[in-house]
Amino acid sequence: MDTREAAFESSQVASMIRGGGLDVEVMPSGEFSTEEMILNIGPQHPSTHGVLRVVLELDGEVITKAEPVIGYMHRAAEKLAEYRDARQVLVLMNRHDWISAFNNELGWTIAVERLAGIEVPDRAQWIRTMFAEWNRILSHLMFSGSYPLELGAMTPIFYAFREREMIQDLMESATGARMHHSYCRVGGLKDDLPRGFLKRSAEVLAETRKRIGEFETLIMGNEIIYARTRDVGLLPAETAIAFGTSGPVLHASGVAMDPRKDEPYEKYAEVEFDVPVGTKGDCYDRLWVLIERMKESCNIIEQCMDRLPPGEFRAPKLPKTLKMDGEVYVRTENPLGLMGYYVVGDGKKQPYRLKMRTASFSNVSVIPAMLPGTLVPDLIAILGSIFFVVGDVDR
Amino acid sequence: MAEQTRKRSTGLGLAKGLSVTLKTMLQPAVTQQYPRVKPDLPPRTRGVIALKEANCTVCYKCSRECPDWCIYIDAHKETHDPAGGGRARSAKVLDRFAIDYALCMYCGICVEVCPFDALFWSPEFEYGEYDIDLMTHEKERLEEWTYTVLPPPALEDGAVPTEEQAS
Repeated sequence: MDTREAAFESSQVASMIRGGGLDVEVMPSGEFSTEEMILNIGPQHPSTHGVLRVVLELDGEVITKAEPVIGYMHRAAEKLAEYRDARQVLVLMNRHDWISAFNNELGWTIAVERLAGIEVPDRAQWIRTMFAEWNRILSHLMFSGSYPLELGAMTPIFYAFREREMIQDLMESATGARMHHSYCRVGGLKDDLPRGFLKRSAEVLAETRKRIGEFETLIMGNEIIYARTRDVGLLPAETAIAFGTSGPVLHASGVAMDPRKDEPYEKYAEVEFDVPVGTKGDCYDRLWVLIERMKESCNIIEQCMDRLPPGEFRAPKLPKTLKMDGEVYVRTENPLGLMGYYVVGDGKKQPYRLKMRTASFSNVSVIPAMLPGTLVPDLIAILGSIFFVVGDVDR
Repeated sequence: MAEQTRKRSTGLGLAKGLSVTLKTMLQPAVTQQYPRVKPDLPPRTRGVIALKEANCTVCYKCSRECPDWCIYIDAHKETHDPAGGGRARSAKVLDRFAIDYALCMYCGICVEVCPFDALFWSPEFEYGEYDIDLMTHEKERLEEWTYTVLPPPALEDGAVPTEEQAS
């Protein structure tokens, strides 16, 4: 076997190891050249929040190439939706990003309501806005708690989960579930709030505010976290926009793109809140944006509770069979970023076609641009700070 | 808008963080001792679906609306002559009503579409099994769950109940 054949064979083997995704360049074997090492991270690595696989090409300890391999959790949610009544699809929409279930179902119901031309009562819209923000806090607590865990700090996640428990109990009392709420309905909500909810909500809000401050003291001032995350994984605004990132990742890079502000849905036009933006776009900024966004969510919830009008929780006259005609694209701000539902209807109750633009998918796409040039120990810090849910990547 | 704290002096952040840890250490634990202490679940909790068989008219609405078709219904028609005479009436009689909880997504659509109040949510959740077949609850078992159903909560101030809720 001559050298070229051998090189070809070894590149084939390398390609197999990589999952066949990369173009392999065979390095000419010079006297001092070292071989590059291929390292598979995942699909089970805990830092990837599920089953994301990242194929790394290493030169010593420096990453020269990185490619995320996705699709291990593909559940064909978009296709399944084509065979179900739009009201049944809500259950599927709960599940692609399982830690921001309410925000997902909100986006979907808004899309269906716009297609079918259904007006939603004011009270339902205020309650929806409030629950979307509660769910945002839940999701952000999850990520700001698990991020230090990935960096090696065990404690913060227990604090985060203590707060989550409180909020989940609150949401359970109204929606009936801790995770997959299924509280939205086309034309309103499943049911009105139970008696005593607002009182309990105010208590939980006060407690959450206090504890978010406490949580911030616990992790944001920590020298080790600061050293591990400051100036690590820099993402310039241009790159962030070019790869279509959104949510905390984009805000940390200094771009305040937020559908809640740009094209308000539900009652976001009537509440006052800030979109916190970072300055540098490093891992520390991304974590900081999460904490600040939680504080803003608390402000929105307070305004929603104060301004909740009396009224119906569901539109009184709803069609027995939905008729969805035409097409609509709804952008909502999920905890992880921009969530888009593109729905095409052909006059039936099932959507003719559904395309989801999920935040995690676009956020993960920036990994190949961010990782090259960084060290392997920083990999976990960077991957964790992109904030994605694999179910949301693969749908 | 809040500004990020830029000034870093060694050890201060650690000390502040540890003060939170110390404060929490002195507080009572929040852990619920689950198997010994049962959680206090709200009435709306979607734990298990209960069937009141007497209310079921075998309209198949629940099994049709279920997003993953996990409700199995078998029925047959019986004709009987009314006591006062007249033509024979036919009525559907339920033979089998089963919910496969291994498949159920706990969305609650079946409970909502049931026109005759035959299905209810119960907050019971301890029905895990070692065998997946046992997760299919037949109508006798579903009937038993009705004894654990809690009355629906009163609504918050300002809420306008639907006609169904008001009656």
